[in-house]
Amino acid sequence: MARAAEATKGTARRLGHFDARSVEEAVSLLSQNPGARIIAGGVDLVALMKSQVISPAALVNIKTVPGLAYIREDAQGLKIGPLTTIAQIARSETVRERYPLVAQAASVVGAAQVRNMGTLAGNLCQQVRCWYYRRSPVTGTSFFCRRKGGERCYAVAGENEHHAIFGDVCDAVCPSDLAPALVALQAVVRTAGPDGEREVPLEHFYTPMGNVLQPDEMITGIEVPAPSSNTRERFLKFRLRKAIDFAIASVAAAVTTESGVVTDARIVLGGVAPGPYRAVSAEEIITGQALSGSLAETAARAALSGASPLSKNAHKVPIAEALVKRALTR
Amino acid sequence: MIDGAIPVTLRVNGDDYQLEVEPQWTLADTLRERLGLTGTKMMCEQGECGACTVLINGLPVLSCLTLAIECQGMDIMTIEGVADPQTGELHPIQQAFVERSGMQCGVCTPAMVLTAKALLDENDSPTEGDIRQALAGNICRCGNYKRIVECVQVSAEMMRGGKAHA
Repeated sequence: MARAAEATKGTARRLGHFDARSVEEAVSLLSQNPGARIIAGGVDLVALMKSQVISPAALVNIKTVPGLAYIREDAQGLKIGPLTTIAQIARSETVRERYPLVAQAASVVGAAQVRNMGTLAGNLCQQVRCWYYRRSPVTGTSFFCRRKGGERCYAVAGENEHHAIFGDVCDAVCPSDLAPALVALQAVVRTAGPDGEREVPLEHFYTPMGNVLQPDEMITGIEVPAPSSNTRERFLKFRLRKAIDFAIASVAAAVTTESGVVTDARIVLGGVAPGPYRAVSAEEIITGQALSGSLAETAARAALSGASPLSKNAHKVPIAEALVKRALTR
Repeated sequence: MIDGAIPVTLRVNGDDYQLEVEPQWTLADTLRERLGLTGTKMMCEQGECGACTVLINGLPVLSCLTLAIECQGMDIMTIEGVADPQTGELHPIQQAFVERSGMQCGVCTPAMVLTAKALLDENDSPTEGDIRQALAGNICRCGNYKRIVECVQVSAEMMRGGKAHA
């Protein structure tokens, strides 16, 4: 009992736990219990709770809500339920054949165990991996950084090799692989809250400190418009240990061509900013042109031209440039 | 509203256990501290090492990031349930690990065996690449990967009926 008893003592108040039976019930439980959090796969949330970085008042389990795990395709496009696991997305024939960017991104999330547990909505809403933010107070040292309401970003003058090169008030990066892929395909997030439903383009979902969800809102689905048959999709992720690591940098590219000329392009970087970073200048450079190696190189340089690396992460610039170039040439 | 210790029924290795858990207790803690099933190991407790892997409904998951209270109605398999429950005869994967020194310190081994079992249950003829990919989330600090992969290859052969022993 030692460990379990210790965990209980560490919690100032007793943790409430609800099994929601419907989206409406989940939302109303969130509204009625300030400080409550949704739990789905639990991969990120349970880890943060154990290290006492996050101490929710209650957990609202949505795994007990029927019908939230699905992958469907119709004339409008692809619809994925929030509780669909990363493994289900990576394995889906529909996703692999018609939305390869999403399947490619899903297949390089974490390792098999994480893909079996982690869900679509959890992947999109996971917390940053900044080691100052995640430092457990149990260790005796913690950092009251801007993301926690403090005044400093400890990464700026500290260990920042994995941090943003397109930073904001917080220099942590969005660790999601699915986010850049889904932004590149112009996905829309559906949410439900006490005031009803909302549709938010994923591109506008992220904020420098997190996302636009209210504490009593939840994701109820993702919709991806059907891509043109002339769209080529590519997801590339650079990480140190291929088995499990988060991206040092990643790129999701969706490029539509007609008669050899680019008519539409979406190039989105992951691991470099607090949210997915859309490289608009690179998109503009290739649109209306025939793709070539030298054009891809010009676009790659343009994609990173606005980067302002911190003291220890300038290496992310050439890595991201190389990824953009490869995504556009191979 | 559920608050404090609550009664749950957990199905582990085919047996139903009735016990009370606090909502924040992880499955790993509960298996080890409440059910005495200490074959499930805990190392990083942050989802990076894979040592706490158990099978839930046949899929490898991290028991140290799974809440026990949310496992009701699921089929949980730990390393204690891998050998034949009647005869105690080792599973071919376990047998291969014993005969071919698949373990050194042994801390990653229960999770390696379970993760390999999930792979072989789905694919009886995996390539070396399939095996490495499937075991990518299981870290062996002794660095015994080469032999671990061999053990899985050999046990796959045994399970296909090629050989009785590794």
